[in-house]
Amino acid sequence: MIGGEMLASAIRMTIPILLTALGAIHAERSGIVNIGLEGMMIVGSFWAAFGAYHYGPLAGLLFGIMAGGALALVHAAATVTFRVDHIVSGVALNIIAYGTTRFASLSIFDRATTSPHVQSLPAIDIPVLDRLPLIAPLASNVSPVVILTFALVFLTRWVLSETTFGLRLRAVGENPQAADTLGVNVFAMRYAGVIISGLFAGLAGAYLAVEHTGMYVEGMTQGKGFIALAAMIFGNWGPIGAMGASLLFGLSEALALRQVVEFIPYEFFKMLPYVLTIIVVGGIVQRSRPPAAVGTSYERGE
Amino acid sequence: MPSPVIETIGLTKAFPGVVANDRIDLEIRAGEIHAIVGENGAGKSTLMRILCGLYQPDLGEIRLRGVPTVIRDPRHAIKLGIGMVHQHFMLVDRFTVTENVILGAEGTRWGRLDRRAARRRILEICDRYGFDLDPDLAVEELSVGQQQRVEIVKVLYRGADIIIMDEPTAVLVPQEVQELFDNLRRLAKSGKTIIFISHKLDEVLDIADRITVLRGGRKVGTVKAQETDRRGLAEMMVGRPVLFSVDKEERAPGEPLLKVEGLSLKSGERYLLRDVSLEVRGGEIYGIAGVEGNGQTELVEVIMGLRRPTTGRILLAAQDVTGLPVGRVRGHGVSFVPEDRHRRGLILNMTVWENLFLGRHRARRLTAGPLLRRIVMLGEADELVQEYDIRVGSTGQPVSSLSGGNQQKVILARELAGQPRVIIASQPTRGLDVGAIEFVRQRLIAARAAGLAVLIVSADLEEVLALSDRIGVMYGGRLVKEVAASETTAQELGMYMLGSTTGAKEARDHVL
Amino acid sequence: MSYRRRLLELAAPLLALLFALLVGGIFLLAIGKDPLQVYLTMFRFNLSRLDSIGSILYKSTPLIFSGLAVAVGFRVGLFNIGVEGQYFIGALLASIVGFSLHGLPVWIHLPLVVLAGMLGGMLWAWLPIVLKLRRGAHEVITTIMMNHIAYALVLFFITSVFLDTEQEMVKGLGSPQVRMPKLLETARMPTMHGFLETLGIELPRHVYLNWFFPLGILLAVALFVMLWRAAYGYELRAVGGNPAAAETAGINTQRTMLSAFLLSGALAGLVGLSDLLGYFGYLDIDFPKGYGFTGIAVALLARNSMLGVILTAILFGFLRRGAEGVQAFEGVPMDTIVILEGVIILSIVVAVQIVNWYVRRQEKLMKRRQVTMERAGGD
Repeated sequence: MIGGEMLASAIRMTIPILLTALGAIHAERSGIVNIGLEGMMIVGSFWAAFGAYHYGPLAGLLFGIMAGGALALVHAAATVTFRVDHIVSGVALNIIAYGTTRFASLSIFDRATTSPHVQSLPAIDIPVLDRLPLIAPLASNVSPVVILTFALVFLTRWVLSETTFGLRLRAVGENPQAADTLGVNVFAMRYAGVIISGLFAGLAGAYLAVEHTGMYVEGMTQGKGFIALAAMIFGNWGPIGAMGASLLFGLSEALALRQVVEFIPYEFFKMLPYVLTIIVVGGIVQRSRPPAAVGTSYERGE
Repeated sequence: MPSPVIETIGLTKAFPGVVANDRIDLEIRAGEIHAIVGENGAGKSTLMRILCGLYQPDLGEIRLRGVPTVIRDPRHAIKLGIGMVHQHFMLVDRFTVTENVILGAEGTRWGRLDRRAARRRILEICDRYGFDLDPDLAVEELSVGQQQRVEIVKVLYRGADIIIMDEPTAVLVPQEVQELFDNLRRLAKSGKTIIFISHKLDEVLDIADRITVLRGGRKVGTVKAQETDRRGLAEMMVGRPVLFSVDKEERAPGEPLLKVEGLSLKSGERYLLRDVSLEVRGGEIYGIAGVEGNGQTELVEVIMGLRRPTTGRILLAAQDVTGLPVGRVRGHGVSFVPEDRHRRGLILNMTVWENLFLGRHRARRLTAGPLLRRIVMLGEADELVQEYDIRVGSTGQPVSSLSGGNQQKVILARELAGQPRVIIASQPTRGLDVGAIEFVRQRLIAARAAGLAVLIVSADLEEVLALSDRIGVMYGGRLVKEVAASETTAQELGMYMLGSTTGAKEARDHVL
Repeated sequence: MSYRRRLLELAAPLLALLFALLVGGIFLLAIGKDPLQVYLTMFRFNLSRLDSIGSILYKSTPLIFSGLAVAVGFRVGLFNIGVEGQYFIGALLASIVGFSLHGLPVWIHLPLVVLAGMLGGMLWAWLPIVLKLRRGAHEVITTIMMNHIAYALVLFFITSVFLDTEQEMVKGLGSPQVRMPKLLETARMPTMHGFLETLGIELPRHVYLNWFFPLGILLAVALFVMLWRAAYGYELRAVGGNPAAAETAGINTQRTMLSAFLLSGALAGLVGLSDLLGYFGYLDIDFPKGYGFTGIAVALLARNSMLGVILTAILFGFLRRGAEGVQAFEGVPMDTIVILEGVIILSIVVAVQIVNWYVRRQEKLMKRRQVTMERAGGD
């Protein structure tokens, strides 16, 4: 039932969730909840299609990344500088993302819900691997973004645990006051964490539009930004764990795409990733441990 | 005479409602241990925060090694060689000792954190000053005394030669205090200057070379430790002769009102409470001593019904209330002053009068059908405000606008107004100023006189000794010792608090 | 002082609104429209015509319910982003009861349909709150997932279970709608035209203002009384303000959270009914989406005040009606309104923060002045 082609599809569906989950890890490790990732994916997907339409796929990806980062900047300003409730800000940004994207799509493409078709990056066959049995379908005709994503998993892990930046990022998410007394710039680190999360989510959206679908379609993110948060939680706020969880979600989405069992209606497969998410946050969360100061705003004394 | 390493001239700092530091002239010499004493609210902490760059003075000057200096922020302070060890540790629990020490002063090799070099330097520092510390352990696995050592190492690692210690003994038991003092003496001998803030006179007389006394934001004077004594210091601190004991009349205890039998609480495989039994009689104050985190919080929470015990029984006046929800337990006549006012005691965004009825609001005289009788409640609130001397403009103000002392009075008023038979008070005077401390203690003693059973939990050994008739010491989730207050000393209690008897050792083995 | 405080409290929503209009203006400029002209058209269109006023109230009706649902959640400290899914399920159940129960008099059938709607909302709120209380699952993620599931589920019921295959159509025109059977007449909510006529107001027939609007206002008043005068409301606010302290005081926080969240869900179940029972008369795949999210903006702008929700819901009704006007007369896309909603949510919380800072600074300054004066007097 689950063959190589199915797995390849699962991996394609994994990428946007995994990228966004990696972004979420940066934000949450710095202490900021980013529920606006869905919106950052939305703007990422639209502006990537816009960029790809006019200047080619690579520019498209860059546009998407930048759009996600720009929206994240607003979130950082709201939560870090103005110290508003992280979730309220994130929800507002999701609505703003949805509204501005429709607005822009209407103004630019004269259609609210889709963009014209755009070019994708040339697909790659991974040498050697593409000739092995079993793995072959996974390793041939692969988007470069897929490879980039898996590289980013390990890069994120290295940055978080082995660099000054990572140490400080984690410190402000655990105990901002302690970090502050040691001269770590809490505000800068949190801005960085949030903006990085936006860049990742923007790339995830861009991947969806430019690499996966070849156009922007309204609603194409389908709650993946929230599912990514569940993947992050499931992965216990670590990149490797998030990768495992994202693969699970990716598989469920791949199943949702193909109706594999005749007598179960299509809508129920569509629900699968969402049900899985509820099971994850409802069943497994208790064993994971979030950063100690996540969701709180930091205010200097006096 | 050694030259002053820090001098302040006319240092002044005002806050809303109070001048915390009023023209303070201070002179601290290199290599000395200089204590700064005063009651809560005398201005010690403000002065220290100015010296480590957290606050800027409104007026006055700081001279560092003879040079007028503006200390911009803590980072600048450390560059100038001033390091601060906060009363509440500034540590990242999940990080290792090494990570905590290097944070903010990291060295890298090829872009990678150089943990090995840092570790080496930390071990060097520990070696030189005789600290016992494992750099690879996570801070959350360390004891309080070890965590404090991490804080000191952090400061030394950054090359500080002036170390400010804010109430460093507040969290330590007597034996740990001795170890800290040994460490501080070694540091001073090697040329470090130590500024030691405290309100505990015996300790100050023990450790300091010279002592500066603050009162009401002003400097009263500086004396040599050898040339003064406890009584003299106390007079300087308070401005009048001081009685050290709390007056409390002899009283024959009555019936046992609160009884705990064989109480255990398990979290996973760990015992948070293990076979705790005690009873508190009417007209008796039972004090629970122990280093924080040895089961006191859990014991109180289990009694109140906030947590369900794994085994054991709780009896209130011979009635079994084990496993009942909080509301029902309270219904049996138990009142509770929680240890953390803001977390468990008050609803900060609600008004003073609303907070005065929290949990009592369903009383028949206060309701009419599903509605509350506001007029009755407002009237009663005003009476309580009078009786408990709560300083507030109107009971319609949010409770968050009150000072800590007045907030505690709101809780006390609420809890005592319900006419309980048993009152449980956790850290009832923590963070309060002298006036409020006295008020709270008097109320607890009055409750005892009225025949209530009073259970207090306090980290302050002096308080436990002064208030209690009997004292139980908790260690590792067990009640390891029970003594009459008149027959013990802080030293002896401290020993049990560290678990240094055979019985206590056993308890620890069970925990681990 | 308290008079000034009141004024400052009003300042935040006004500031937020102004800022949102400014941002909206920038978007209008970006597509080459004159913002002033657009806003002016909006005002003229909205205020000079009776049908506009009726339409504003009609459009505000679902927003009153969703604003109340969100505000009740916030009051007990829970963020109900699931109003969206809850009203979809509410509409589904109401619709099923509405077309399937034949032969009932209107005074039984209509209340049954409304109750079915509320039940549906509660049903969809039940799982998230139970998972929250039992397993610590954050309600924000679970309710969002429930929204997605609700969309899919309603789609499934419309297309696969209750699809109306016996639609009457004008011969040779159009294709059948993808919808469920039409509600019976006994399940429809009457419009207010008759009542308004007795007051001498002739509301045009193409406005669908119905009795859900006064019902919403009544409900808001009832909730206000409950929140500020009833013991239950006091407990609800206590749990929302500090659950640990409420629990310590003996309030059953779990039960309070559960009941308040179910109440929020029941209110959410009413959101879609004005459209379903007062306008469409059937549930189809184009049933209006997004009221749940707008409800967040409505509640936040009202600072979670039950009475304030009435005003802010009408304000959003005003903006929506105005958006229709400017789309028709100025060629501005309706979606500008969605942007405004998002910006309002964000700017209201920022504005509240700024006003708080301002108040705190003022108080600090005043106290400091007092101290220095006392000292000057004392020395």
